[in-house]
Amino acid sequence: MRNNSLSVLVVDDDFINLSLLKAILGNCGHQAVLAKDGQEAVTIFSQGHIDMVLMDVMMPVMDGYEATRQIKAIAGERFVPVIFLTALNDEKALAKCVEYGGDDFLTKPYNHVILRSKIDAMARVSQLHSTIKAQRDELAYHNERILREQEVVRTVFSNIVHSGSLNEPCVKYLISPMALFNGDLLLAARQPSGTMRIMLADFTGHGLSAAVGAMPVADIFYRMTRKGFSIGDVVIEINKKLRKILPSGLFCAACLVDIDNNEKKFSVWNGGVPDVLVRGSSGGVRQRYVSRHLPLGVVNNDRLGTTVEIGEIANGDRVYLYTDGVIEAWNKQGEMFGQQRLEAYLSRGRDSSAVFDEIREGLIEFMGDQSQADDITLMEVACDDIAVPDHPGAICVTPDDVKDATESRSAAHPLVVWQSSLEMDSDTLKNFDPLPLLLHMITEIQGLEDHRENLYMILAELYSNALDHGLLGLDSSIKITPRGFSEYYMMRERMLASLRQGKIKVDLRHIPADGGGKLVIRVEDSGSGFDYRKQMLGLEENTASSGRGIALVRSLCCHVEYCGTGNIVEAMYHWQV
Amino acid sequence: MALSSTISSDGAIVTLAVAGRFDFNIHQDFRKAYEKHGNGVKKYVIDLKDTEYMDSSALGMLLLLRDYAGGDSSDISILNGKSELKKILAIANFNKLFNIG
Repeated sequence: MRNNSLSVLVVDDDFINLSLLKAILGNCGHQAVLAKDGQEAVTIFSQGHIDMVLMDVMMPVMDGYEATRQIKAIAGERFVPVIFLTALNDEKALAKCVEYGGDDFLTKPYNHVILRSKIDAMARVSQLHSTIKAQRDELAYHNERILREQEVVRTVFSNIVHSGSLNEPCVKYLISPMALFNGDLLLAARQPSGTMRIMLADFTGHGLSAAVGAMPVADIFYRMTRKGFSIGDVVIEINKKLRKILPSGLFCAACLVDIDNNEKKFSVWNGGVPDVLVRGSSGGVRQRYVSRHLPLGVVNNDRLGTTVEIGEIANGDRVYLYTDGVIEAWNKQGEMFGQQRLEAYLSRGRDSSAVFDEIREGLIEFMGDQSQADDITLMEVACDDIAVPDHPGAICVTPDDVKDATESRSAAHPLVVWQSSLEMDSDTLKNFDPLPLLLHMITEIQGLEDHRENLYMILAELYSNALDHGLLGLDSSIKITPRGFSEYYMMRERMLASLRQGKIKVDLRHIPADGGGKLVIRVEDSGSGFDYRKQMLGLEENTASSGRGIALVRSLCCHVEYCGTGNIVEAMYHWQV
Repeated sequence: MALSSTISSDGAIVTLAVAGRFDFNIHQDFRKAYEKHGNGVKKYVIDLKDTEYMDSSALGMLLLLRDYAGGDSSDISILNGKSELKKILAIANFNKLFNIG
């Protein structure tokens, strides 16, 4: 409505009335457009810009009611006030005017002052209407744009975040974000050894602001896990990153769990996530890992504890991780789902494989149609069902073959001959995990990348034997009882911390061999060694209480040999492209 | 108002009491409440006597207060929390950063 001058459609079959209204409108500075019946009014309205309509009721061809209905239909979302001009005093007839879309009435005979004020009032309403409509459209436009942008970001987000092992059959999970973006983060990946590592993270708040931190966390998690870094190293790296990028007050409660089926052990770091629960095969909470550390992104690394808790895996164990959104879910009565209710589901001794679905259904039923107050994440890992990853098979050859291969080095695909050695003293051994470095060196060789799982396993076994048994003198047989199991790792940590002397030397030698190569890994420790002849016998007779690890190395390598006093071990890995 | 703040007569101790839900909705008020008392404050007390519920953004607000109060050299006590609230603080291991009683 430009310059307060309105274009007013006047509809009346009485020519005198039309002229009169035209004159009044002219005096008020408005422009009158005239129609002699409803049909003509509809035609004119649909052709041009009309701001307001003054409508008679009784007319030939089409009456005022029908014309108003059609005009309102044409106007659609645009607000065009229709004021009925009527001699009617009958309340029902007046109500009918409103029913057909009329906005006001003016009773004949006309009073100039009243007509003028009604037009002004309607003009104000109309103005308000179009302002609100414009604002609404703008909001809708921005909302639409934001949603579109978020969709794009979400695609990038899920590509980064969901690239791991969540879809393996041993994993069941429920992720229910409050908003388009999730402040909860669930990650799973395999280490080179095949160990399953899971991480549950819960950022402060919800939605996009909570989700931005998830990308670097996921990135670091996958990268370092693939390279074989320990939980402690991953925690340190993520914390460092979050300290750098998160504003104060935003942080990330997190929990990392390693499920190592070879060593039959859990390793757990919990900083701010509710108790991690292990359900035994016959029901009940068999192990519980409470939060022992501050969440990530709160303090600097020097104050962040990296101690992991170790526990033994038993047959049929299932691990449960969940965010506080699960225990703090509300029902209609204002009660929380609670820790007790959750654990009650784990205590039932029935079919283990149904537990996850029972919790999920129980939670959904509990919440009813209550809206969610937090992101909800729940995960179960069935330890028995963690598949053994497909290792590229190691091919067994005799040491004599090595000589032949060296001589035929000038073949079509000559690969490098190289050797390298790493010697670590007691101070280094305390704080440094050499496995990622060694693995990195080895897998730099083209072709060996596909063998990283096997190589990691071999390196890890040989190195931990050298450290645990060679230098620290720990006895594996302690591990056979569940209590001894965690005692073993506590003892290991204590003894390593007080280690004063000793060293471990790792030599790597690689030579090409038909289409691949042979890698000799030699690990020497400064300990006193052991009677390897006797132990080998035990292994062959299957009477040994430990030595699962070295048996694994034997299955992967074509040749494993102890030398010296048992303080040196040499393993040869033969690989082909 | 869900939040009240009082200061001791010597200006050294500020007490912030949160009634009802301690969540994102009061973050503006919470920040204003401790910032308005300026630099002479030596100790902050968060009184959770009338707090019914607390979420992770409340933990974030406590960390912001901690930064404001001098980080590692801050002196902040969180008192009178119901057992559920204490549980939340314990899961986050906030006893390493605050005096919780």
